[in-house]
Order: sequence, then C-alpha cells, then structure tokens
Amino acid sequence: MGTFYDALTGQAVNRNGVGAPPIKLYSKILATRSAVYLLGLAKSFASYTLHVTSISPITGELVASGNVPSSVLSGFSDVVVLRDVKEPELDPRLVWLEDKAIKSFPLSPSLKAKPAVLKGATYKSVQDVGVSDYGQFVAVQEDGSGRVIRLSSEGLKVIWEYADSATSPQRSDSIYAGGLDADGYPYIARVFWSHVFKQASVHVLASHLAEGKGLVTGYTFPFRTGEYGVISHVAVDAANPEPYRVLARLFLTTSTGAVQLWQQDQLQWTREEGLTDIRAAELVELPERKVAAHAGVEHESFGTRLRRQLSDAQDFPQYAVNFARRFVTGSYASVSAPVAHSTNATEPLSRDAFGFRKVIVAATSHGKIYGIDSANGEVVWSRVFGLGWAAQVGGLIIPAKLFVTRTVNDGETPQIVLVTQRKANNGLVDTVVFHVDALTGEDAMGKSAPRDVLQGQDVVSGPLVEAFLLRTDNGRAVVLFDEFLQVHLYPETEDIRLAFEKALPTLRIPLKSGPPGQRRLTGHQIPPKVEFTGRHIAYQTWTLPFPPTEDIRAVFSRPADPVASLGKVLGNRTTLYKYLNPNLIGVVTGPSATLPPPKDAGCGVYLVDGAKGTVIYHAVLPSVDGVCDIKATLVENWLVYHYYDNEAGPGQVKSHRIVSVELYEGHGVDQKTRSSDLSSLSNETTSISVYEQSYVFPHGITTMSPTSTSYGITMKDIIIANENHQIQSFPRRFLDPRRPKQKPTAQEMEEWLIQYDPVIPNDPKRVLSHNYQVAKTRRIVTSPALLESTSLVFAYGLDLFFTRIAPSNTFDVLSENFNKAQLVFTIGGLALAIVFVKPIVETRRLRGRWHY
Amino acid sequence: MTGTAEATKWRHLPPPPGFASVVSSSKSNKHTATATASYEELKAKRAWDLAFSPAKSLPMQAFMLYMSGGGVQIFSMGIVFMLLSSPFKNLASINSAFAPFAPASSSPKSLGTLSLQKIAYIFCNLLTLALGLWKCRSMGLLPTGTGDWLAFETRGQPPELLLI
Repeated sequence: MGTFYDALTGQAVNRNGVGAPPIKLYSKILATRSAVYLLGLAKSFASYTLHVTSISPITGELVASGNVPSSVLSGFSDVVVLRDVKEPELDPRLVWLEDKAIKSFPLSPSLKAKPAVLKGATYKSVQDVGVSDYGQFVAVQEDGSGRVIRLSSEGLKVIWEYADSATSPQRSDSIYAGGLDADGYPYIARVFWSHVFKQASVHVLASHLAEGKGLVTGYTFPFRTGEYGVISHVAVDAANPEPYRVLARLFLTTSTGAVQLWQQDQLQWTREEGLTDIRAAELVELPERKVAAHAGVEHESFGTRLRRQLSDAQDFPQYAVNFARRFVTGSYASVSAPVAHSTNATEPLSRDAFGFRKVIVAATSHGKIYGIDSANGEVVWSRVFGLGWAAQVGGLIIPAKLFVTRTVNDGETPQIVLVTQRKANNGLVDTVVFHVDALTGEDAMGKSAPRDVLQGQDVVSGPLVEAFLLRTDNGRAVVLFDEFLQVHLYPETEDIRLAFEKALPTLRIPLKSGPPGQRRLTGHQIPPKVEFTGRHIAYQTWTLPFPPTEDIRAVFSRPADPVASLGKVLGNRTTLYKYLNPNLIGVVTGPSATLPPPKDAGCGVYLVDGAKGTVIYHAVLPSVDGVCDIKATLVENWLVYHYYDNEAGPGQVKSHRIVSVELYEGHGVDQKTRSSDLSSLSNETTSISVYEQSYVFPHGITTMSPTSTSYGITMKDIIIANENHQIQSFPRRFLDPRRPKQKPTAQEMEEWLIQYDPVIPNDPKRVLSHNYQVAKTRRIVTSPALLESTSLVFAYGLDLFFTRIAPSNTFDVLSENFNKAQLVFTIGGLALAIVFVKPIVETRRLRGRWHY
Repeated sequence: MTGTAEATKWRHLPPPPGFASVVSSSKSNKHTATATASYEELKAKRAWDLAFSPAKSLPMQAFMLYMSGGGVQIFSMGIVFMLLSSPFKNLASINSAFAPFAPASSSPKSLGTLSLQKIAYIFCNLLTLALGLWKCRSMGLLPTGTGDWLAFETRGQPPELLLI
C-alpha cells in the first residue's frame, strides 16, 4: 500500500491502511491539484483490470477507490495517462487499448465517470511518446498507419494522421517520438527507413502551428544503415524559428549500439556505445611500413639495380648529416613518448619502432566488429555482421571466440576468424564464421563488398560446443565441434585437411559435459577414420567428475607464450625445474549459479592434466553465502588465484586473499622429469613439489591477467582490475611463493626474495590507469611488443583502457638521459690527443736510446 | 806463420793472473774431479730450489686473494688470472728452466733428467692452480651446479597436443 509523504517537509503524513486484496499492484502516481491518483492493475481471469485510487492531496485521506471496467492484456504498455499541464482545468484521462479500440476514462476525485470509446478505427497499439503530459499520444491503427490523438474538452480527438504510414514493403515500421521546443509546445516525429530510396525519413508534426491545424515538416537524412544497423530508438527536440519553419534535432540509438545526434540532416556526432559490450577482442601485430619506391625490387636486372642504388646514394651526405644530428640530440624513437600515429588515412596501418602500435579487433554482442588503433583509440574500421538467410526473420549474432589465423610473421597481412552463434527469431541456432583482414576490415572470404554488411559462412547448422585454434606447419586453422562432436575445419582447404589428419593421433580435447549444475570434465580423442557423415566424430576417453555440489564455473589455460628458462636457479646454483606440462589446464568449481546453493557449499581450484584427467593440484576454498567468486590465472608453472575468505573466528580475519602457487618437478632440488615433453600417460606427471603461500589482498577484483613479452625473459607482473575501477599491477616479487618467513639468508637474497609479510601493499604508484575510472572490466588482454621489456595491456568492459607496462623497467633500451654527445666528444678528444702526443713520445724514446 | 813468430817474441812476459799454462794431467785431475762433484751437488741443490719455488710464493698469493674480496673486480680477476695462467706457462717451459741444472751425464733438455725435481715442480704448480680454482669456486665462477648448465638444456615436442 502507499505511504503519503508531505512534499514540503518530507514526513509521512498518513498511512493508508486500507485492506486491499493482494492481487493489486500500483504502478503510477498522478498528482493534480485536486487529487492524487494511484493507478494500478488488478488481476482478473484472463487479463488485468485497471484500478484507480484517488487520495486528497492535502490530508492524504482516501477519497475513492475502484476498478475501471476494462480489460488490459499486457499491463501498462497499453495504457497512457493523459493530461495537459497547460490546461489544468481539463480532467486527466486514463487511456488504454482494449480489444482493438481505444477507451478513455476521465479522472476526477470522486471517480464517477464512465469509460468512453474513441470511435472511427481499429487500433493495434497506443504509444506514450513522451508528450503525454501535454495531452498528446500516438495510436497505431491496424494497417500500421499512425495517428496523433489529443486530449480536449470533449474527450479524445484525432488531430493528425500521418500520410503513407501504413505498413508496406517499401518502408520499415515507423518509430514515433515526442519532444518539446523552447516554448513548451509538443512535437511528434515519425522516423522510418525507405527501402525504395534507401534513406531515412522524418516527419515532424507541430500541432500548434498553422492556426492549430497542425503542420508537418518532412525531410530525409543520410543515415548509413550499412555501417550502423537499424534505428532502434529516437528522441526528438524541435525549434520553431519562423512561423512555418520547424527545425528538428534527432537523437538516435541504433541496433549496433551507435548513438548519433542529427541536426536536421547533418550528423553532429556518433558515439559507438556498442563497445561497452565487447565479447571477444584480440591484439593483432601490424606489419612494417613498406616504402612504396621499393615495390618492384624482386625482379630487377643488375644494371637497373645498380642505377637505382646509385641514384639513391645521392642522398648520402644529407643522410650523414641527419644521422649525426639524430645521434647527438638523441631524437630517436623513445619508449616514454606516445606512439606517433600517421595522420594520413590512406596509408595502411604500420607498426612503430618498438611495436607498441597494434590493432585491437573487438567483436561486440550488438552485431558489429571493430578495428581500433591502439595508438589513439580511434576506430579504424568497423563492419556490421550480416544475418544471411535469417535477415528475413530477424536474428541476433553473438560472438563466441576470436582467433588470429594469420600474423605478420607468416608473411602477409594479418587475418582474424570470428566464430559466432546466430540465433534466428524462429528459434534456429547456427554457427557462422566471419573471416576478416585485421588491418582494413575487408572480407577475406571475398563475399562482401568493402563498405557493405559483412557476410559470413554457415559452418555448422546447429549450435557450437567449442572452437579451438590448431597450429600446424601450414598455418592455423579453426577446429569446431558441433553438438554431435563432429569435427568441422575452417578454412576447408586441402593442405589444412592434410595437416589436420597428420596431427590427428596426438590431439586431445577436454570439454565440459553433463547436466547443468553438475558438469564434469570429459576428455576426447578423434579417430583416424571418417564416419559415414564424412566427418570425424570425437569419442570420449576419460571423465573427471567433481563433487556433487560443485559445478564447473570456469576453465582456463596457460597462454601460448614462450618460456625463457626451464628451471629456477637457487642461490647455491642448484635448480628447481619448473613443471611445464603443456597440457595443464585450470578449473574453478563452485555451487551452480542456477540451482539454489547448499548451505556449506565449497569452491575449488583444480589443476588438471587436460589430456588424461589427472588432478595435479586441488585447493578447497570457502564460498561467500553460497556464491563462488574466484578469479584465477595460470602462466608457465605459476598459478595465482584470488577469493574472499568469509570465515570469522578467533585469529581469523575476513579479507580478500590471493594465493600464489608454483609447481616444480620432482620432490626436491635438482630432480628432473622433463615435464615439457613428457607424455600425459606417464606416472611422472604427478611427481611435483608445490610451493604455495597466501597473502591478504587489499581489495576485490573483477579480473586478472599476467603480462606477456615476446621471449618470456622479463618477470611477469599480474595486472588486476579492482573494484575501485582501477587497473593495477602487482610485481612477482611480492607474490613469490618462496618468500622466507624469517630474515632472508644470503642465498635467498641472491634470488631477490623478501621476507614474508601477510599483507600485499597497495601501492598507488602501481596503478596503471592513473586517475581515470575504468569501470566493470570484464577481461584484460596482454600482448607482447617488439621490445622484450615491455608488455601491452588492454582492458575492456564498460570502458576501454590501453597502456604499456615495463615490469623490470626498460632494461633493453638505452636510457634517454644517456649523454651521447659527451661520449662522442670524450672519445674524439682522446683520439685527437693521441694523434698529437704520439710523435712527441716517439722522438723522446729515440733520443733516450741514444743518450744512455 | 806470423802468429807463431810473434808468440815466441812475447814468451818472456809473465802469464796473466789465474791463467795456467799447459796443464799437466795427473796432479790436477783430482782437483777437477772434486770441483765437478761439488759443482754437480750445487746444481742439484739449485734444481731442488727451483722445484719448490712456486710453493714459496703461495702464502703471499693466498693472502692477496683474501684481501681482494669476493666480488668479481679487476684486481681479484687479475690475481686469479695470474694464478691460473702461471702454472701452464711454467709447465710449458719446464725443460728449458731445468736445463742449466742438468747433470753433465744427461742431455739438458730431455724430460727424464732431474725427474724428481721436475715432478716436485709440477706438483707445486698444481698447488698454485688449485689455489686459483678454489678462489674461482668461492667467487661462484666455476660451473659446478646444475643451474650453470640450465641454459643448455633442451626439450622436445610433447607427444600429445591439447586443444584448448
């Protein structure tokens, strides 16, 4: 029931203790000078009935309450509360759609009135376009044409019918929007797309102009539907500078998440809000800048090459002067400067001197894929996904995984493959693959025109179980498994198929299977023979069940970065060999998100050999009220996981914890089992020694990721997106699991170990995002640059953030403060001195021989 | 012809001091025998001195190593280099070093002469070499641990390829 609050003092004045039947739900409050109306719905047999309660505005007493004889099918979406703030003596009316007719009920404090029917036509919907406080709303008739209906003293009056607004194959459905101008007059706009003219059109109705008869201004605006999708929502604002001139401003939202402001037919700005929902993103390396003059050097004869090189040699004196100037003033590419991006848009993207500039390819769930330049965050190219055959019925494309199938190291322009699921509106689910050039966004399959909607290939006519990247000597291919575990390859070329057949006996695939809420991990292999369907079908080889209360929450694996050293050298020069099992995967389990959690549910972190199902490491963690919020990451032989420990008790502290675990081969120092090339069937896969320690972490996190560099030599930092909307990095030295509990000995100091302290310090100098807020980060992608010391970090979620980090400082670049000029002058001075002094010394020595 | 005529002209001059005229055999044989015997003894004693000479400088070098400290600095590396290289240099020239002390009965430059002294000399040089190596080991330069050979280890391809 409602509570009445005095608007001036904010205190509750009167409590309405009227015993109302429980099936009534109030949704709206309408306050007028004479009464306050509470509008709600009461449930009746097949539909809802409108219910109105009127309350005195001064005393809060119930004046009248009762059902309005009506039958509304879908709730308040068919109801409009109409009143005119400019004519307060007109009773407000409750308007609803019942049985294809518009009925209205005038609201008075005594609620004594009869519902009236608006005669003349059958309607299929009523829309409150935002000017219902000014007495106008839009009703759409059965044939799709729109009418504007106004509140007047005689009830409802149709004041306008939009011409040519009936549903027709020549145009799309209309979107209606209402707005005001500076003087408070309402305008209603109708926006639609004309298929015939391929333009978007607006008709703006100003009902107060032309002596009250209403004036419609229509114009088209060049909305690019191939780039931004379909207009899904419009807000309008108008101005009336001259008696018969109306200027409208449109604020559009499109189906791909773009937000645009149009002033008449000029686009003022576009904002790609679709980037707040990125599902898959990858950083793609750029090729080097090719000098155009050297385009045809491969097929030159000796004479032409000689002539070309001689003509190039004319530039040599200027080059030498430039070299000396660059050397002395130190104006090389520097690591601390922002990456200079080419302002010439026609030049293809190329990398800078250190490889900091990459293309971020991001696919969003709004049906678009973007290529973003990491130097300045601008969108270089974007493509809208085409729905294929589902364009007639409508559908949604949801990106699942993004793979980089060709890199610059393979010699040509980089390409990406995006695996998506298409959910058509008739219920069919398909797997569609899009193959795009990463630098320009062009379709690598050659099916779509450059500025057009991107067409994909329907690889599987059914849902997808998993997709993986297979690295072979002939290139990379995407392996897809459908619901029957049939193997599909993309691209389906002959050499990819042969490479797949060759790699077939060694492939092991772990998949999640089982009923939802109690999933388990199953391992599969692929037989060498093809089934009668023409495809390989994977068969199950092992199962790893988890405890009945635990469900698989996440599966994660090591990044495919190179490992620089096979062991950790201790201070006395013995070695702990790292456990580098290439088939190691991590599983986070916990109570199912869908089923109600048991009271004492536990969470678990497992490290499992994905080729055989052996559990290598297992940790049981407490859950927080049945919810498991564990973030874990695995790199090389190092597992880091973060959770909240909610157990209170004497000596126990409720805090966020981070646990750092390292796995080494054997049961001691210097024991080698060669885990990198060990078969998963060998018994030696479980002979490990585990070093783990847990620390208290300053805050909760949303995601975490290790840095990655091109050779793996630099120490890895853990990049964390924490709850305070910051991106922060934690060095490995603080998270080392071998930190000694007492003062470190000389040997341990040689390994740079610091003494164990339970709290990880929250160093604000290690916050990468400076004072920007990076909210709701979903994932952090790290990527190597050409410099070994630097790693690139890209965080996406609600906001996008890109930076680079040097965990051990830029040890492979000469410091910018290095005084090159001083070095050159010193050496030059010494050389000069030698030149002068050498003859003097020789004559002296010669004379000395003759004297003694 | 002219020489002998001139030599008879100056025969009345006294001979220079220490210069004996034609020596007669029997009386002075005994003198030369004892002289050569003592000469041989002297040579043998000198050979033993030479054999033990590297060991004499060991305490001084040990003390210098102790003073130079544990870090890899130019001073300590210089001393260590000297300690490591001088045994090899000495062993290369071992025959020519002992040649002056070879007894008359044997050839000066063969390995078999003065074998005992030579063995002692080699042993003392090995002591010097050991001191140099010990210093290297305490500075951590000797690759005795598995960590020193870690960079040379290789691993092959794993037999199973995981798709993940």
